Amino acid sequence: MSSHCGTRKRRYRRGKKFRGGIHGTVLLMGLPNVGKSAIFSRFTGLDVMVSNYFGTTVEFYEGPMRLGEKNYLLKDAPGIYNLEEPSDDAERVAAKMLDEEPDAVVFVLDALNFESSLHLLLQVLEKNIPTVVALNRSDLMRPRGIAIDHGLLQRRLGVNVLPTVALRGNSLDVVKYALENAIGTKTEYDVPGPNKRWNLVEQLTSDAFRREPKKERSDKHGFLVKPWPGIPIALAVLALVFSFVIGFGMGLRQFVLLPFFRGFLFVHIENAVEALFTSEVLKNILIGEDYGFLIKGIEWPFALVLPYVISFYAAMSLLEDVGYLPRLAVLLDGLFKKVGLNGSSIIPLLLGYGCGIPAIMATRSLPSKKQRLSVATMVCFAVPCVAQTGVFIALVAAQSIPAFLVIFAISILALVIIGVILDKVNKQQAPPTLFELPELLWPKPKLLWKKISFRIRHYLKDGAVPMVIAVAFVAVFYELGALQALGRAAAPLVSGWLHLPEEAATSLVLGIVRRELTLVVLEPMGLSTVQFFTASLVALFYVPCIAMIATLAKEFSIRTAVVILVLTTVTALFLGGLFAQMAALITA
Amino acid sequence: MTTIANRETKHESNTTDSLGTLLKGEEGIIHAVPEMGLLASLGLRRGKKVRLVSKTPAHGPLVLSVDERSVAIDRTLAERIIVRR
Repeated sequence: MSSHCGTRKRRYRRGKKFRGGIHGTVLLMGLPNVGKSAIFSRFTGLDVMVSNYFGTTVEFYEGPMRLGEKNYLLKDAPGIYNLEEPSDDAERVAAKMLDEEPDAVVFVLDALNFESSLHLLLQVLEKNIPTVVALNRSDLMRPRGIAIDHGLLQRRLGVNVLPTVALRGNSLDVVKYALENAIGTKTEYDVPGPNKRWNLVEQLTSDAFRREPKKERSDKHGFLVKPWPGIPIALAVLALVFSFVIGFGMGLRQFVLLPFFRGFLFVHIENAVEALFTSEVLKNILIGEDYGFLIKGIEWPFALVLPYVISFYAAMSLLEDVGYLPRLAVLLDGLFKKVGLNGSSIIPLLLGYGCGIPAIMATRSLPSKKQRLSVATMVCFAVPCVAQTGVFIALVAAQSIPAFLVIFAISILALVIIGVILDKVNKQQAPPTLFELPELLWPKPKLLWKKISFRIRHYLKDGAVPMVIAVAFVAVFYELGALQALGRAAAPLVSGWLHLPEEAATSLVLGIVRRELTLVVLEPMGLSTVQFFTASLVALFYVPCIAMIATLAKEFSIRTAVVILVLTTVTALFLGGLFAQMAALITA
Repeated sequence: MTTIANRETKHESNTTDSLGTLLKGEEGIIHAVPEMGLLASLGLRRGKKVRLVSKTPAHGPLVLSVDERSVAIDRTLAERIIVRR
């Protein structure tokens, strides 16, 4: 894989900050959930890239790290338990990264998972690559009554062992200094072969590891995974998240963003445009009532969708950081197994309520092809993204709150139905569940903020910009009469079958670009509640946006993407029309 | 694929049983475990003390406490682990 590294090195060499180029690579290894990412983000700057090895689905981060006068490429290997006989992609990738002979390894030894960490460390040391051990979470040792003689480990294994607290950045400079000195040295660690590994682990543990009799039971958070009170708590957490996302987003929109945009910014934009241009056509395109580019092109992405993006990712990042999601996965595992899925499928599904693209990518961590495909299909069909939800709330809930709740109930029902159908198509059972529940942790505000702001920036770049461009197109085509012509062409479908105004054909075209546009362009048309409900139903099941289709094609195959595209479109138009026709019958 | 290790050492048959038979809150010492790398790495090794924390609903996984760690394990897998009460 030298070519892979080569391209990366070249890319960084071109960057302004790394004039000196990249001198080599350092690998960061350890068990899952031991603070590797925290160390990684302390060691590298903002110039971080997500990469994956060709043919695998596991992503890892890499970024430049400064050691003394030189820059090294720090690669964050996926967290694993075992290097030998790799059983999944994460282990294969980590083993491969180590086989590429990095210049050094930073091994994160978890103070709380001492034995398993040590077992993995021995496997790493067998490769005789210069290694520095960061004994992480050393701050939690004393409260847990744990004492580790890191000097003894250092003497026995002949490797530098340094206590650290990655979440606070404590003593990480010491690790860097040790790394700098270790690189280039010839090392031969005193470690036994595979057969004696657990023996040495147990011996070292009995010599270097002390734990006082516990003051409190270790499973003090066990109640979260018991049917009682775990299930009511899970429901309460989800309800709380749901109401926070909606409430906070609404508040932000109503009291902060709308007053700013409508009361201040748009007034100035309108005055400026009136003063600068005389052409009515141009004025209509820029500040027209319906699709004025400078008005709707700003209001929709930034005042309508952005507030929900912020509130959703704040809630989701908090749940992730606290470590609640794996507990939710355990509670739901039994139910998901009924349709051949693992409980961990809940994580990509929840992510889908933010954006479908990270959700489809997150299916990579699921254990089988069937599960990946099932969950991705569920997300494409019936999980509205946060932008769509924002529009549902702003437009549908504003007209009728019951209609909004019914739409959400339908989406959940659809998830169940899709799960059952896909399980009938492919009867493959889910593999047995076996994973560790990470410790529940208080969120660290700084890291939390970093995560949230990263996701908001991502939305601004990949979500808001295409939306602004799409609105620009609509503004121009509307003014030129192209949309009206399209509407007449699609009239049998749009007004005949769906009972929507002819112009609504626009929404079906734009919905392909971005999911929320299906509904948002209907805003100026003054629809009745029945029409809004029909449109919402269509919008819910309608085509996943172009970017999601592209992601499906990349992650699965073009065929899969096309099949999902056709099925979602047909389902959306069929169900929407069915409702419209039934409503017409009842009201007639 | 995997076999239960140390089956021949299984004596005191009245006190050894599968992990799946533990009651909620009950403790046991692991006596025999299928040879799976991940089980060992999660702390499920011979001689370790485990406590059953929870049996999740809808025949879901068991949650165990081993060495201060919580591990979720499928019931089918738990049935293949032998513990001594």
